[in-house]
Amino acid sequence: MRGRNFVFASLVAMLAASAAAQADPVQIRLWHMEQPPQRVARVQQLIDEFNKANPDIVVKQEPQNWGEVYAKAPAAIAAGNAPDILFAIPDFTTVIKGLGALTSVKDFVAKLNEQHHFIPATLRPYEYDGGVWAVPLYNMAISLWYRHSVFDKAGLKPPQTWSEWRKDAEALSKAGLYGAGLPANKQLYTDQTVYATMVNNGAAQLFGDDGALRFDNPKTVEAYAFYKDMFKYSAPDATNWTWGEAEACFDAAKCGTVLQFTVISTYNAQGGDPADLGVAAVPHNDGETASNTIAYSNAAMILAKDPAKRKAAEAFISFLLEPANYGRFLNMEPGLFLPATEDGAKAPSFWNDPLAVKYKSQIETMIANSQNGMLFGFTSGKVFPAIGAISAQNILAGTLQRIVVGGDAPAAAVAAGQKEMQEAAK
Amino acid sequence: MPIRRSQRLAARREAAFAALLVAPVLAWLGATLLYPLAVSLALSVENVRVIGSVGRFVGLDNYLSVLGSAAFWLALGRSVVWVVGNAVVQTALAMAAALVLEQSFPGVRIARTWIVLTWIVPTIVIVIVWRWLLSTSGGMINPLLIALGVIREPVGFFSTPASAMATLILINSWRWFPFIAVMLLAGLQRIPGELYEAAALDGASRFARFRRITLPLLQPTLFVLTVIGTLLSFNVFDIVWLLTGGGPANATTTLPILIYRTAFKGYRLSEAAAMSVVATVLLMGLALIAVRTLAPREEAR
Repeated sequence: MRGRNFVFASLVAMLAASAAAQADPVQIRLWHMEQPPQRVARVQQLIDEFNKANPDIVVKQEPQNWGEVYAKAPAAIAAGNAPDILFAIPDFTTVIKGLGALTSVKDFVAKLNEQHHFIPATLRPYEYDGGVWAVPLYNMAISLWYRHSVFDKAGLKPPQTWSEWRKDAEALSKAGLYGAGLPANKQLYTDQTVYATMVNNGAAQLFGDDGALRFDNPKTVEAYAFYKDMFKYSAPDATNWTWGEAEACFDAAKCGTVLQFTVISTYNAQGGDPADLGVAAVPHNDGETASNTIAYSNAAMILAKDPAKRKAAEAFISFLLEPANYGRFLNMEPGLFLPATEDGAKAPSFWNDPLAVKYKSQIETMIANSQNGMLFGFTSGKVFPAIGAISAQNILAGTLQRIVVGGDAPAAAVAAGQKEMQEAAK
Repeated sequence: MPIRRSQRLAARREAAFAALLVAPVLAWLGATLLYPLAVSLALSVENVRVIGSVGRFVGLDNYLSVLGSAAFWLALGRSVVWVVGNAVVQTALAMAAALVLEQSFPGVRIARTWIVLTWIVPTIVIVIVWRWLLSTSGGMINPLLIALGVIREPVGFFSTPASAMATLILINSWRWFPFIAVMLLAGLQRIPGELYEAAALDGASRFARFRRITLPLLQPTLFVLTVIGTLLSFNVFDIVWLLTGGGPANATTTLPILIYRTAFKGYRLSEAAAMSVVATVLLMGLALIAVRTLAPREEAR
């Protein structure tokens, strides 16, 4: 009798434990670096919808900032307190992968690709070493921004080549504007504009196939020489510019052209006329046939190790990429984040945003430009760990400062830049 | 005899009570200063790159690398320029402000309160305000200087190495001089008024009174401010990083900026730890030298 009671009690206890386990939802911690309040609110809105539709999963967002996350995420991983989903850009992924914290999401990405068709340029920076290390979520690509009215008044046409851009910048400068609002700060924005120039002169590859640095080559030197030439048409404080200052220069109608991911939001906030806002591809060297640009594919890494958590993380990412939700996700900052998937690029949820309606033609051009996007260190299908340090130390921008602040010749500065990269790679 | 024993007991009890009162502070200091310092020391003899990763023991390699690096000595040199520049500008501004605020005039109380405003405003606000003021796109300083005929076209205050460092020193001094002014004002108010009256009766000029009375009697305050100010200035990171990021062309890369860059941009955490240890030793040495050589002597009082 006693034995039977014991078996019965054990069964009840097991069932209760199992029920309790089923009742406990899987907790997912999401770290992203989209800190502005409107972005946090939009992410929360989507999380609330997801949590409501998936009672067995609870996603919580913990916004971080890009300045700290390079140190904070590795520390959290070391402490066993890593988030389950962590947003990323390509060079950050190499850092986290280097810590052994990533498992390939190749199968998951393949499944998503069948459904949504990733734009290849957004996936490429995460495909290496036989795996896929993050799921592309949105893209950002640099374009050339200008005002039609300013160009018309000066009798100019939007530039397609370097010689046209130089001629336009000179004419705009004579008209009292900064003809080319280009930065020369030792900071990420300058890395981006410098690289946007390099990729338009056939100098996209930082590494050879064997991993040897090939930054110091005549094409790179020529690109820096052109940048130096154009920099004389920029504002005198441009050695200290980040994205905000360039945007302010354009918004204040002091810069005739700027290289930016977008100016739509601030331009619109200042009451700008959508029909007057021009956007074009970054001009290419006269010898090149087409324009390229720098593009940052932002993605989500899955750090969770527990299978249930990984499954839940995948469910949330799938939810974000569903066309009905995806446009709302991208429009957490309208006109900045571009679709990483083909069905996302057509999704009404993206195009129905009031700002997207107003600036449809500009956003279409931005998307078209992003198709030719590349990112330094992620162009050859092979990724070398040194890119993390090279990128974080802003060596591309530092090389430019040697020229425009230090007065070095472009060839000498590029040689010094390559040496610095080699040091960083040690 | 029993009285002496009871006195000793009372003294011991008092000492124990004092130790008990001080213990939480010491424990806090231990946790927030000694522990990180010990961790830095341990890190500095390893080869850890990214925070959280594992390194191996490399002995004094990082110290040899740091001491043999031109970047380290250049950054140290810039830190010296930064500290001296701030000390000179802040002391001059603060002394002038304190001398004015010591006078009696209508609104002096309000002025004494208002002066500390720049000091209590958060750094990020100060950075945003100054970046905007100095900007060539909508800033106010360039148009003002053009209107006054000082410059003919807008200039970039952070565009050359010399102007960037000078501008940073002025902004940082603008921020911190009220703190020093308040300290100096407290020092000034401790000087007996009779000394000035007697000197005036003897026919001493204002400058002579300042040189013979004010300066010598302010010496203890100035000494404390020199030591504390040097240590604080040396360690300033936020305003430099946010305004120039150490640029242009590394012209404002002081030692704290270099340490941060090495650790979190260059992923050489152990090398940065070695730099921190060297910087700590240098600062401790500097503080000791200052105490021994600059401290006002008892007989001078």
